[in-house]
Amino acid sequence: MYTLTVYRCEDSLESIFTAIYLSYEENRDSRDTCMVLHDEPILFAENVKVEADPVRTIKVIRTLKRRFGEDDYLSVCMALASTDEDKAQAVYRTVVKGLDERYERGHLFDSLADEYVLKTFSLARGAGREIQHLKGFLRFQELENGVLYAKIGPKSNAVTFLMPHFSDRLPIEDFVIYDDTRGIFGVHPAGGQWYLLSGEESGERELRLSEREMQYQELFRHFCRTIAIKERKNLKLQRNMLPLRFQEYMVEFRQKV
Amino acid sequence: MGYLATGNEMSLTDKLGILTDAAKYDVACTSSGVERKGNGTSVGNCAAAGICHSFSSDGRCISLLKILLTNECIYDCKYCQNRCSNDIPRATFTPDEICTLTMEFYRRNYIEGLFLSSGIVQSPTFTMELIYRTIWLLRNKYKFNGYVHVKAIPGADAELIRRTGFLVDRMSVNLELPTAEGLKALAPNKHRKTILTPMRQIQNGIEENKNELVLYRNAPRFVGGGQSTQMIIGATPESDYQILNVAESLYQKFGLKRVFYSAFVNVTGDKALPALPGGPPLLREHRLYQADWLLRFYGFKGEELLDETRPYFNVLLDPKEDWAVRHLEQFPVEINRAPMQMLLRVPGIGVKSAQRIVAARRSANLTFADLKKIGVVLKRALFFVTCDGRMMYPVKLDEDYIVRNLTDVKERVRFGSDGMSYRQMSLFDDGNFARPLTVTEQLQVAAGQDF
Repeated sequence: MYTLTVYRCEDSLESIFTAIYLSYEENRDSRDTCMVLHDEPILFAENVKVEADPVRTIKVIRTLKRRFGEDDYLSVCMALASTDEDKAQAVYRTVVKGLDERYERGHLFDSLADEYVLKTFSLARGAGREIQHLKGFLRFQELENGVLYAKIGPKSNAVTFLMPHFSDRLPIEDFVIYDDTRGIFGVHPAGGQWYLLSGEESGERELRLSEREMQYQELFRHFCRTIAIKERKNLKLQRNMLPLRFQEYMVEFRQKV
Repeated sequence: MGYLATGNEMSLTDKLGILTDAAKYDVACTSSGVERKGNGTSVGNCAAAGICHSFSSDGRCISLLKILLTNECIYDCKYCQNRCSNDIPRATFTPDEICTLTMEFYRRNYIEGLFLSSGIVQSPTFTMELIYRTIWLLRNKYKFNGYVHVKAIPGADAELIRRTGFLVDRMSVNLELPTAEGLKALAPNKHRKTILTPMRQIQNGIEENKNELVLYRNAPRFVGGGQSTQMIIGATPESDYQILNVAESLYQKFGLKRVFYSAFVNVTGDKALPALPGGPPLLREHRLYQADWLLRFYGFKGEELLDETRPYFNVLLDPKEDWAVRHLEQFPVEINRAPMQMLLRVPGIGVKSAQRIVAARRSANLTFADLKKIGVVLKRALFFVTCDGRMMYPVKLDEDYIVRNLTDVKERVRFGSDGMSYRQMSLFDDGNFARPLTVTEQLQVAAGQDF
């Protein structure tokens, strides 16, 4: 009798990678297997609940890096950082295809005619674009105690990808990046290794900014206003290039206090 | 060395305002070309593709802290608001002010780095020395490891330019105007030869440095991000053909990374300058950038795009569409078999899409639906390609017909979100449709397709 095996995962990279490992460990045929993030019942399906397992996750990561290279592995992670509900299935089938058909390093996303590869590719591209935008649009504010604090409200789970970039750029600074949508803090102590914390921002209390912070914010606002050429004014183009949802967190778009 | 006395009484905010306003017409402001990791002990790294930090209200990217060291100037160029005969407030930054601003903006992630230019003070060499000292301070005392772009002052001592080159990521010398005659008419203090000399010096320096790097990987880098330049478009009567020729030979003979085109904005009102009642020539600037990309990434030659009989760009069609429509004998192109160079010549297929097509068609035959998902702009490409021998809609390969459809005002309305067009039919339609059927729709009816 035909049974569809359904792995029910949580919305986390570890859970999905564990599910992929399990599907290989239990020798499942990929055409009869499916990975979902929701709890709705599916007819004629055998459900398997997946618990994220660090050991198995690391094994999958190692395999992906070795077989497909660092860039494609990062793309897969970015696809999983997006918020699409079919991402688990898309990534699963892409990985299976890559492993079965022995794609070389850097070529995991060649066969874009396959719907799952294309889906993973699009999700990775979307998340990648947002991360690239955030690298530019993220703004730090200097707090009283010298820590640089940034708040972002991304659609995808971007903090994990931003921390390495900023840790390399600001190794001697204490900084924190807070994801407003998910309640995740990325913390980097000066001269140390960065890590993630989940939690909520402490109430609506105003941030205690350093003395010169407002001065530099105002200088930057002044700079942005002055540098525009008024004969070329084009607010529509500005909005196209800088979507409104980012502007909310950027100092130059806030009014003077 | 004493700095100019006007510096200290003015507030930092006022100075920043004056010296940003003075620098804003220099559009050569990207942060790309150098990949450099952080050094672990100080602030800064560089991303190869550059990072856009903000966009100003004119839609342009803000990536660097773009300022003049001073807007005092002994020259009297007719197009420049900082010309010595213009009565405007003048200001000068101290080197520490520039360094502090750069560092504080950088750590708050407002900018990728510094773009420093200057008005000419006392002499080109004196000015270049001021610039050199500022950058030296930034790199050695403030230990800034981010992106620095500096203007080389034509006429300055070669040794100063050489030393500055080892401290910066990109150096540029502005050509200002496309021809020597134009330059003589509008900028009598500047000469073509004095501008080309430092460009040649920087080019040679970069070449030598590449050879040194082959031998010794940790050799200090000289202008790692390459050289760029800028031309003002519309202040003098050169044709697009002349400008494109200049750009092409700059890329070939001086090994430039980028040429920038700046639409002329009349700020001084000098009688030698055109009045430009329609505003700055933005469409012309846009076409030049499109042509520039075709030269650098799509394998086009300047003479294929423009020549003496057609010295100006088409207003309605971009240069690639224009070329395609004049060379219909090369089309249609078969997606599943054509070589890369031919795919690149199809309007609506960019470099990334062409690469993806070539990779994807190895494992499966591509259809029009696949092309749409890959990122091809079908509403332009459909006139020029076939998939397995069939075109998307039957199309006459006739110049007028294609131009009419490419420039159709309503073409944006015609296509739905998935590239196909739909119109909801109603029982109450009496055949008097709101608009006449387009040619494509007529053909679809003839072929029996619903639309």
